[in-house]
Amino acid sequence: MRVDVSSLDKPFSESYDYVIVGSGAAGATAARELADTGRSVCVLEEGPAVAPSEFNDRAFDSFKRLFRDMGGQVARGRAFIPVIQGRCLGGSTVINSAIVWRMPGDVWEPWRNEYGLGDALPIDELHRNWDKIEKELYVAETPPEAWGRFNELMHDGAKRLGAAAAATRRNVKGCRGSMRCLTGCPNDAKQSMLISYLPYAERRGAALVTGAKAEQVVCEGDRAVGVRGRGFHVRARRAVLIAASAIQTPGLLGRSGVDSVHLGEHFQGHPGCPVVGLFERPVNMWKGATQGYDCDHYRKEGRFKIETIGLPPEIVFARMAGAGARWKATMAEAPYAAIFAVQMRAHAHGTVKERFFGTDIQFDPNRRDMMQMRRGVRFAAELLFAAGAKTVLPGIFGLPERLTSPDQLPLIEAASDHPASYNWIVSHLFGTARMSRRACDGVIGTDFAVHGTKNLFVIDSSLFPTNIGVNPQHSIMAIAMLAAQRIAAGAKP
Amino acid sequence: MLNNRQRAVLDTLLPSGGHPALGLGLFDAGFDAFYEDFEGTAQPSMVWGFKAALFAASWLSPVLILRLPPLSRLERPDRERALEALGKSRFYLLRQLLLLLKAVCAFCYGADPRVRDALGFPRS
Repeated sequence: MRVDVSSLDKPFSESYDYVIVGSGAAGATAARELADTGRSVCVLEEGPAVAPSEFNDRAFDSFKRLFRDMGGQVARGRAFIPVIQGRCLGGSTVINSAIVWRMPGDVWEPWRNEYGLGDALPIDELHRNWDKIEKELYVAETPPEAWGRFNELMHDGAKRLGAAAAATRRNVKGCRGSMRCLTGCPNDAKQSMLISYLPYAERRGAALVTGAKAEQVVCEGDRAVGVRGRGFHVRARRAVLIAASAIQTPGLLGRSGVDSVHLGEHFQGHPGCPVVGLFERPVNMWKGATQGYDCDHYRKEGRFKIETIGLPPEIVFARMAGAGARWKATMAEAPYAAIFAVQMRAHAHGTVKERFFGTDIQFDPNRRDMMQMRRGVRFAAELLFAAGAKTVLPGIFGLPERLTSPDQLPLIEAASDHPASYNWIVSHLFGTARMSRRACDGVIGTDFAVHGTKNLFVIDSSLFPTNIGVNPQHSIMAIAMLAAQRIAAGAKP
Repeated sequence: MLNNRQRAVLDTLLPSGGHPALGLGLFDAGFDAFYEDFEGTAQPSMVWGFKAALFAASWLSPVLILRLPPLSRLERPDRERALEALGKSRFYLLRQLLLLLKAVCAFCYGADPRVRDALGFPRS
């Protein structure tokens, strides 16, 4: 059953066993798991339900319908960093590149050793869930026929440098390499939650309620009994599961009376910067899998990963230099451009707080992060030159706009330490309601319940005690699945 | 509705002609209709940011090249130089305002089928 609250004449009011707030990777996975138990499930989504047949390749239309704040949500610090999130049925899985990485062991070990979460999030159970998800969502390496030239270029560059790199594993089925992940896959190839786990849960009786922004979890004593917002009030007989993302979850918990000094703190991310290479022959980045190849050579030691990315012309143009005739001249180079993005596992912690003007995200890469990012930009530039780029645009204020020889790479090392000199974006978000054994160390317990409550659970990446250095969708899903399995069984770790 | 000073900024940013493959100007690509949609549907913060960017381009950018504002009273080469100076300013906020200006214009310009055809972007 699907309900669009914004189209109803009277408030929507129903009772379910489980109420899930958020329909992205975490919420949909929990819905899929709980729907299998035969209990009634309701998934609340703030954004609209947009069918794949309605997706188009114009960025403005997509940003308006599918992205939070039209893509204009920013983290404030010494630089403005766009924080990209989906706001539609299926959440960010509708607009991401379907990249699948299991959480590396070297990331999980500190979760066990330093945070004491080995029993709460046992790695063998996570692997079991990853196996299940990978089977159900057709996870496989991007095949060469879907690469397109821009993915091929990273393959070539990494091979020449002897760097560890591979075709990206993605949850897609029959990808045609239309480079439209960002604006919504029109071919139903990407197995976003919109076309996979949400319909699965729906077929088993789950209600998908859109246009329903959760304002507050209604509690009676230490029990959550429902969720309400403008135009709806749903009651929860067994539990409320929050999967609203590391940005929205702390605000919702705060409005619902959860009081913890850790709420909205410890915000971490994977800020990224693009590096553009210009080649002699056309690259045509709009033909190929949006993100089909990545290089994790420095993931562990350097805390960054390099990924290819194809972007629609609108987004590429905005970042090209110049005004007037010169802007047109740089735009005309777009067919010859390949973009390698540096994705960094930042050390910096930020905050996410509710203010009178809305959600306030504060995040500022620190000195160590800036050193890492410079190293990442340099390596991305090196990869591009190795792949045959004639010119590299490092995108760092204060450096020459164009580097024309690998001999100029040392300039990047001497670049500014100030975040405002770089073009950032952040889309992997963690830690604002982190899991902890003791209430004094975090917001939720090892049973996924908010400390001091019985059945108010958090199952999204807000619970992560640290960022993870790889694309998080798969980890979010495996952990949400684990949480749902435990919640359904009423088990305590 | 855009006033003449604002139009002068946008026409400087993406004029008609000026490139053999991308001859289309911003207004040839239907920016007036796009702007109406943008004003009505985009986040208020983005709409106001865009207006602030137009203001900065019109009134502050000429000062950066030691000319008197507004931008609309300058010759085209000076107008382009002034906007370039905005993008190279040491003040981060000014650079960000130009980026916002370009991002909104690019939403319209990059979606035009003629522009996409010129770049070889496949038709959907």
